[in-house]
Amino acid sequence: MASVQNDEGVSLNLMPMLDIFSILITFLLMSYSTDPVSYDISAGLELPDSVTITALDELPSIIVTKNEIMVNDKKVATILGGDVPERDRSQGAVYPVFVELEKLAEANKRVFRGKEDKTKTSVLTMEMDQSHQFKLMKRIMLAAQQAEFVTFKLMVAREAE
Amino acid sequence: MNKKQKKKKKRKAIKYRDIELNIMPFIDVFSLLNTFLLMSAVFIAIGVLEVQIPFLSSAPPDTKDNERTLDISVDVEKEKIEVTTVWSRAPENEEKKDFPLTKAGSAELHKFLVNVRKTNPEYDKVSLFTADDVIWKDVAMVIDAIKTRLPGDPLIVPKNGTDAEKAMATDFIYPKVVMSSVML
Repeated sequence: MASVQNDEGVSLNLMPMLDIFSILITFLLMSYSTDPVSYDISAGLELPDSVTITALDELPSIIVTKNEIMVNDKKVATILGGDVPERDRSQGAVYPVFVELEKLAEANKRVFRGKEDKTKTSVLTMEMDQSHQFKLMKRIMLAAQQAEFVTFKLMVAREAE
Repeated sequence: MNKKQKKKKKRKAIKYRDIELNIMPFIDVFSLLNTFLLMSAVFIAIGVLEVQIPFLSSAPPDTKDNERTLDISVDVEKEKIEVTTVWSRAPENEEKKDFPLTKAGSAELHKFLVNVRKTNPEYDKVSLFTADDVIWKDVAMVIDAIKTRLPGDPLIVPKNGTDAEKAMATDFIYPKVVMSSVML
């Protein structure tokens, strides 16, 4: 009889689990992103840390991973030894990037024709691996400059405040 | 109280003791909420550093020819950062300062630039020159030191600034960073 009573008394104490859940939910709700754009960083790419408070507001047009350069998700050049091969260079710029950006600039002009705010037509968002040298960034920027893009939004990983 | 009544009271007491809150639905809701939040959480917040590159234009320059303006340039090399402040007309009062290209060095650079902006609030542009072999991680660190207003930094609002410039003063020390080494 005593053993029966003991069995009845055994029960799973769910309160610690509830405590953990509550804390986890509080943490997740507090760190929940309210950024205007939610974006997953490209695979094999690491962004530099930054204390900037400016949030990402549009998806990147140029992605520079460790091994390739993409413009609007289209691979345009390969990176070998941290630089683009000689055949892809022209006047210090990455020629395939220039070709793609020129198309983009034309499309932008068509979209913004007749509109007063034309600042967006000259802005590019770029996602680049933190280990690349400035030499490569400069080549891409030179290509953009020739396609009349003069403002860059360089993606960084925001450090926790 | 007879025996029957005593037994009834005991049963009643046991009944009350057995009542407990059913927290299983509560746990179910929490589990679902957790799963949803974990799946949609963005663990790395992404930000942007906005910079300009020089662009040749046929438009007339902003400044008048005889106006005395302050040029601030930051040169980033493999191991050091050099800041030069110089006035466009005499007395030029050129000043140069070196900082190591490290986190501590960039913090010192930030302090120095905050002081420069505090004494010359009308000049909000910095020209950034970067050597080819500097990695993007370090360039981002230097841009941060130039641009971003950190907690504790003074709010520097230009006297005759536009509304947009005044609004930017809350977030930036130097809102305009021109990557001057990007030239053909």
